[in-house]
Amino acid sequence: MAANQAAQLPRRIIKETQRLLTEPAPGISASPSEDNLRYFNVMILGPTSSPYEGGVFKLELFLPEDYPMAPPKVRFLTKIYHPNIDKLGRICLDILKDKWSPALQIRTVLLSIQALLSAPNPDDPLAENVAKHWKDNEAEAVETARAWTRQFAAN
Amino acid sequence: MSVQVPRNFRLLEELEKGEKGIGDGTVSYGMEDADDMLMRNWTGTIIGPSNTVHDGRIYTLKFHCDLNYPARPPLVRFQSKINMDCVLPDGRVDPTRFAVLGNWSSNYSMETVLTELRRAMASMHNKKLPQPPEGAMYS
Repeated sequence: MAANQAAQLPRRIIKETQRLLTEPAPGISASPSEDNLRYFNVMILGPTSSPYEGGVFKLELFLPEDYPMAPPKVRFLTKIYHPNIDKLGRICLDILKDKWSPALQIRTVLLSIQALLSAPNPDDPLAENVAKHWKDNEAEAVETARAWTRQFAAN
Repeated sequence: MSVQVPRNFRLLEELEKGEKGIGDGTVSYGMEDADDMLMRNWTGTIIGPSNTVHDGRIYTLKFHCDLNYPARPPLVRFQSKINMDCVLPDGRVDPTRFAVLGNWSSNYSMETVLTELRRAMASMHNKKLPQPPEGAMYS
Protein backbone atom coordinates (compact mmCIF):
# COMPACT_ATOMS: atom_id res chain seq x y z
CA MET A 1 0.00 0.00 0.00
CA ALA A 2 2.81 2.42 0.90
CA ALA A 3 4.54 1.72 -2.41
CA ASN A 4 1.32 2.29 -4.29
CA GLN A 5 0.81 5.55 -2.38
CA ALA A 6 4.36 6.71 -3.05
CA ALA A 7 3.78 6.28 -6.78
CA GLN A 8 0.96 8.82 -6.52
CA LEU A 9 2.89 11.26 -4.37
CA PRO A 10 4.19 14.43 -6.04
CA ARG A 11 7.93 14.32 -6.62
CA ARG A 12 8.45 17.40 -4.50
CA ILE A 13 6.99 15.66 -1.44
CA ILE A 14 9.10 12.56 -2.02
CA LYS A 15 12.26 14.72 -2.27
CA GLU A 16 11.43 16.68 0.87
CA THR A 17 10.67 13.50 2.81
CA GLN A 18 13.94 11.86 1.77
CA ARG A 19 15.94 14.89 2.80
CA LEU A 20 14.15 15.17 6.16
CA LEU A 21 15.08 11.56 6.87
CA THR A 22 18.68 11.67 5.63
CA GLU A 23 19.68 15.18 6.75
CA PRO A 24 17.45 16.06 9.70
CA ALA A 25 17.72 19.60 11.07
CA PRO A 26 19.26 19.76 14.57
CA GLY A 27 16.67 19.15 17.26
CA ILE A 28 13.96 18.21 14.77
CA SER A 29 12.72 14.88 13.45
CA ALA A 30 9.90 14.28 11.02
CA SER A 31 8.81 10.97 9.54
CA PRO A 32 5.78 10.11 7.43
CA SER A 33 3.23 7.72 8.85
CA GLU A 34 2.95 4.34 7.17
CA ASP A 35 -0.63 4.59 6.04
CA ASN A 36 -0.55 8.22 4.90
CA LEU A 37 2.63 9.62 3.37
CA ARG A 38 1.31 13.18 3.62
CA TYR A 39 0.97 12.86 7.41
CA PHE A 40 4.13 13.29 9.48
CA ASN A 41 4.99 12.54 13.08
CA VAL A 42 7.21 15.37 14.23
CA MET A 43 9.38 15.88 17.30
CA ILE A 44 11.00 19.18 18.22
CA LEU A 45 13.43 19.54 21.11
CA GLY A 46 12.89 22.61 23.26
CA PRO A 47 15.64 25.11 22.32
CA THR A 48 18.41 25.72 24.85
CA SER A 49 18.03 28.91 26.92
CA SER A 50 14.27 28.84 26.38
CA PRO A 51 11.62 27.85 28.93
CA TYR A 52 11.10 24.73 26.81
CA GLU A 53 14.68 23.48 27.19
CA GLY A 54 14.79 19.81 28.12
CA GLY A 55 11.36 19.13 26.64
CA VAL A 56 10.51 16.87 23.72
CA PHE A 57 7.47 18.21 21.89
CA LYS A 58 5.37 16.04 19.62
CA LEU A 59 3.60 17.60 16.67
CA GLU A 60 1.62 16.38 13.68
CA LEU A 61 1.96 17.79 10.18
CA PHE A 62 -0.22 17.23 7.14
CA LEU A 63 0.41 18.22 3.53
CA PRO A 64 -2.97 19.10 2.01
CA GLU A 65 -3.84 18.17 -1.55
CA ASP A 66 -2.80 21.58 -2.92
CA TYR A 67 0.61 21.60 -1.17
CA PRO A 68 2.96 23.36 -1.98
CA MET A 69 0.52 25.99 -3.25
CA ALA A 70 -1.08 25.87 0.19
CA PRO A 71 0.90 25.63 3.46
CA PRO A 72 1.25 22.47 5.52
CA LYS A 73 -1.08 22.10 8.48
CA VAL A 74 0.76 21.71 11.78
CA ARG A 75 -0.33 21.24 15.36
CA PHE A 76 1.33 20.52 18.71
CA LEU A 77 0.23 17.26 20.34
CA THR A 78 2.18 17.95 23.53
CA LYS A 79 0.62 20.51 25.86
CA ILE A 80 2.69 23.71 25.86
CA TYR A 81 2.42 27.08 27.62
CA HIS A 82 3.18 29.62 24.90
CA PRO A 83 1.39 32.83 23.85
CA ASN A 84 1.28 31.82 20.17
CA ILE A 85 0.01 28.25 20.69
CA ASP A 86 -3.53 27.57 21.86
CA LYS A 87 -5.04 24.83 24.02
CA LEU A 88 -5.60 22.60 21.00
CA GLY A 89 -1.98 22.98 19.92
CA ARG A 90 -2.77 25.29 17.00
CA ILE A 91 0.07 27.61 16.09
CA CYS A 92 -0.08 31.31 15.21
CA LEU A 93 2.73 31.72 12.69
CA ASP A 94 2.53 33.96 9.61
CA ILE A 95 4.18 31.48 7.22
CA LEU A 96 1.47 28.94 8.03
CA LYS A 97 -1.10 31.49 6.82
CA ASP A 98 -0.84 34.56 4.59
CA LYS A 99 2.98 34.60 4.43
CA TRP A 100 3.19 31.08 3.03
CA SER A 101 5.19 30.71 -0.18
CA PRO A 102 5.74 27.54 -2.23
CA ALA A 103 9.46 28.28 -1.91
CA LEU A 104 9.19 27.32 1.76
CA GLN A 105 9.36 23.68 2.81
CA ILE A 106 8.46 21.33 5.64
CA ARG A 107 11.97 21.88 6.98
CA THR A 108 11.66 25.68 7.01
CA VAL A 109 8.27 25.46 8.70
CA LEU A 110 9.63 23.26 11.47
CA LEU A 111 12.69 25.48 11.94
CA SER A 112 10.34 28.48 12.25
CA ILE A 113 8.30 26.69 14.89
CA GLN A 114 11.50 25.86 16.78
CA ALA A 115 12.46 29.55 16.56
CA LEU A 116 9.01 30.54 17.84
CA LEU A 117 9.76 28.52 20.98
CA SER A 118 12.89 30.63 21.51
CA ALA A 119 11.06 33.88 20.84
CA PRO A 120 7.46 33.90 22.07
CA ASN A 121 5.56 36.88 20.69
CA PRO A 122 2.84 38.02 23.13
CA ASP A 123 1.93 40.94 20.83
CA ASP A 124 0.43 38.55 18.27
CA PRO A 125 -1.34 36.14 20.58
CA LEU A 126 -3.40 33.07 19.91
CA ALA A 127 -3.79 32.10 23.55
CA GLU A 128 -5.06 35.43 24.96
CA ASN A 129 -4.71 34.54 28.64
CA VAL A 130 -1.17 33.20 28.19
CA ALA A 131 -0.17 36.33 26.25
CA LYS A 132 -1.61 38.55 28.99
CA HIS A 133 0.32 36.60 31.60
CA TRP A 134 3.48 37.04 29.50
CA LYS A 135 3.01 40.81 29.28
CA ASP A 136 1.96 41.34 32.90
CA ASN A 137 4.60 39.20 34.52
CA GLU A 138 7.07 37.65 32.11
CA ALA A 139 9.20 36.00 34.79
CA GLU A 140 6.20 34.21 36.23
CA ALA A 141 4.87 33.19 32.78
CA VAL A 142 8.28 31.76 31.87
CA GLU A 143 8.24 29.81 35.14
CA THR A 144 4.83 28.35 34.22
CA ALA A 145 6.16 27.43 30.78
CA ARG A 146 9.09 25.62 32.44
CA ALA A 147 6.76 23.79 34.81
CA TRP A 148 4.53 22.66 31.90
CA THR A 149 7.63 21.52 30.01
CA ARG A 150 8.66 19.36 32.99
CA GLN A 151 5.12 18.05 33.45
CA PHE A 152 4.06 17.35 29.86
CA ALA A 153 7.19 17.28 27.67
CA ALA A 154 9.64 15.31 29.78
CA ASN A 155 11.35 12.67 27.69
CA MET B 1 -5.92 7.31 -4.52
CA SER B 2 -7.36 10.53 -3.16
CA VAL B 3 -5.67 12.54 -0.44
CA GLN B 4 -6.79 11.43 2.99
CA VAL B 5 -7.10 14.16 5.62
CA PRO B 6 -6.00 12.72 9.01
CA ARG B 7 -8.56 12.65 11.82
CA ASN B 8 -7.25 15.54 13.91
CA PHE B 9 -6.92 17.95 10.98
CA ARG B 10 -10.34 16.92 9.76
CA LEU B 11 -11.84 17.73 13.18
CA LEU B 12 -9.97 21.06 13.28
CA GLU B 13 -11.58 21.91 9.92
CA GLU B 14 -14.99 21.00 11.30
CA LEU B 15 -14.29 23.08 14.43
CA GLU B 16 -13.40 26.15 12.37
CA LYS B 17 -16.44 25.73 10.16
CA GLY B 18 -18.68 25.33 13.21
CA GLU B 19 -17.20 28.45 14.82
CA LYS B 20 -17.94 30.52 11.72
CA GLY B 21 -21.53 29.30 11.72
CA ILE B 22 -23.32 27.18 9.15
CA GLY B 23 -25.77 28.56 6.62
CA ASP B 24 -28.95 29.95 8.18
CA GLY B 25 -28.09 28.67 11.65
CA THR B 26 -30.76 25.95 11.78
CA VAL B 27 -28.02 23.52 12.74
CA SER B 28 -24.86 24.28 14.72
CA TYR B 29 -22.19 22.47 16.70
CA GLY B 30 -19.09 23.06 18.79
CA MET B 31 -16.57 21.28 20.97
CA GLU B 32 -17.76 20.33 24.41
CA ASP B 33 -14.41 20.31 26.20
CA ALA B 34 -12.06 23.01 24.91
CA ASP B 35 -9.14 21.36 26.71
CA ASP B 36 -9.42 17.95 25.06
CA MET B 37 -6.62 17.85 22.50
CA LEU B 38 -8.20 14.72 21.00
CA MET B 39 -11.44 16.64 20.26
CA ARG B 40 -13.67 13.69 21.09
CA ASN B 41 -16.86 15.24 22.48
CA TRP B 42 -19.08 17.73 20.69
CA THR B 43 -22.46 19.31 21.19
CA GLY B 44 -24.88 19.98 18.34
CA THR B 45 -28.19 21.78 18.06
CA ILE B 46 -31.01 21.52 15.57
CA ILE B 47 -33.87 24.01 15.28
CA GLY B 48 -36.98 22.05 14.37
CA PRO B 49 -38.21 22.62 10.80
CA SER B 50 -41.36 24.67 10.23
CA ASN B 51 -44.65 23.02 9.27
CA THR B 52 -43.86 20.08 11.54
CA VAL B 53 -44.52 19.24 15.21
CA HIS B 54 -40.86 20.17 15.78
CA ASP B 55 -41.35 23.75 14.59
CA GLY B 56 -39.27 26.16 16.66
CA ARG B 57 -38.07 23.56 19.15
CA ILE B 58 -34.34 23.57 19.90
CA TYR B 59 -32.91 20.07 20.13
CA THR B 60 -29.47 19.49 21.63
CA LEU B 61 -27.46 16.38 20.96
CA LYS B 62 -24.02 14.95 21.71
CA PHE B 63 -21.45 13.55 19.37
CA HIS B 64 -18.60 11.27 20.32
CA CYS B 65 -15.87 11.07 17.68
CA ASP B 66 -13.49 8.27 18.64
CA LEU B 67 -9.99 7.81 17.25
CA ASN B 68 -11.35 6.04 14.15
CA TYR B 69 -13.40 9.05 13.06
CA PRO B 70 -14.06 9.89 10.19
CA ALA B 71 -13.36 6.38 8.84
CA ARG B 72 -16.05 5.26 11.30
CA PRO B 73 -19.16 7.29 12.15
CA PRO B 74 -19.54 9.26 15.38
CA LEU B 75 -21.87 8.10 18.16
CA VAL B 76 -24.85 10.42 18.20
CA ARG B 77 -27.29 10.83 21.05
CA PHE B 78 -30.13 13.29 21.56
CA GLN B 79 -30.14 15.10 24.89
CA SER B 80 -33.52 16.70 24.27
CA LYS B 81 -36.33 14.16 24.26
CA ILE B 82 -37.75 13.52 20.83
CA ASN B 83 -40.11 10.99 19.26
CA MET B 84 -38.66 10.03 15.90
CA ASP B 85 -38.31 6.74 14.03
CA CYS B 86 -34.49 6.64 14.13
CA VAL B 87 -34.09 7.61 17.80
CA LEU B 88 -33.96 4.87 20.45
CA PRO B 89 -35.80 5.21 23.81
CA ASP B 90 -32.58 6.44 25.49
CA GLY B 91 -31.91 9.14 22.89
CA ARG B 92 -29.30 7.32 20.81
CA VAL B 93 -29.62 7.65 17.06
CA ASP B 94 -30.00 4.12 15.67
CA PRO B 95 -27.55 3.61 12.77
CA THR B 96 -29.74 0.83 11.38
CA ARG B 97 -32.55 3.33 10.93
CA PHE B 98 -30.55 6.40 9.93
CA ALA B 99 -28.66 5.96 6.68
CA VAL B 100 -26.07 8.71 7.23
CA LEU B 101 -24.66 6.68 10.14
CA GLY B 102 -25.59 3.23 8.77
CA ASN B 103 -24.01 3.85 5.35
CA TRP B 104 -21.34 6.18 6.67
CA SER B 105 -18.79 7.74 4.31
CA SER B 106 -15.65 9.49 5.53
CA ASN B 107 -16.77 12.48 3.44
CA TYR B 108 -19.68 12.99 5.83
CA SER B 109 -19.28 15.27 8.82
CA MET B 110 -21.15 16.28 11.96
CA GLU B 111 -22.83 18.92 9.81
CA THR B 112 -24.11 16.15 7.49
CA VAL B 113 -25.55 14.28 10.48
CA LEU B 114 -27.32 17.37 11.84
CA THR B 115 -28.65 18.46 8.45
CA GLU B 116 -29.97 15.00 7.64
CA LEU B 117 -31.52 14.54 11.09
CA ARG B 118 -33.32 17.84 10.56
CA ARG B 119 -34.47 16.64 7.17
CA ALA B 120 -35.71 13.40 8.76
CA MET B 121 -37.75 15.43 11.28
CA ALA B 122 -39.73 16.79 8.34
CA SER B 123 -40.37 13.38 6.73
CA MET B 124 -43.97 12.26 6.25
CA HIS B 125 -43.65 9.80 9.11
CA ASN B 126 -41.89 12.05 11.64
CA LYS B 127 -43.45 15.42 11.10
CA LYS B 128 -46.73 14.55 12.84
CA LEU B 129 -45.60 12.17 15.62
CA PRO B 130 -46.72 13.21 19.12
CA GLN B 131 -43.81 14.74 21.02
CA PRO B 132 -42.70 14.89 24.66
CA PRO B 133 -43.07 18.26 26.39
CA GLU B 134 -40.76 20.91 24.96
CA GLY B 135 -37.48 21.08 26.88
CA ALA B 136 -37.69 17.54 28.33
CA MET B 137 -34.29 15.82 28.50
CA TYR B 138 -33.08 12.22 28.57
CA SER B 139 -31.53 11.48 31.95
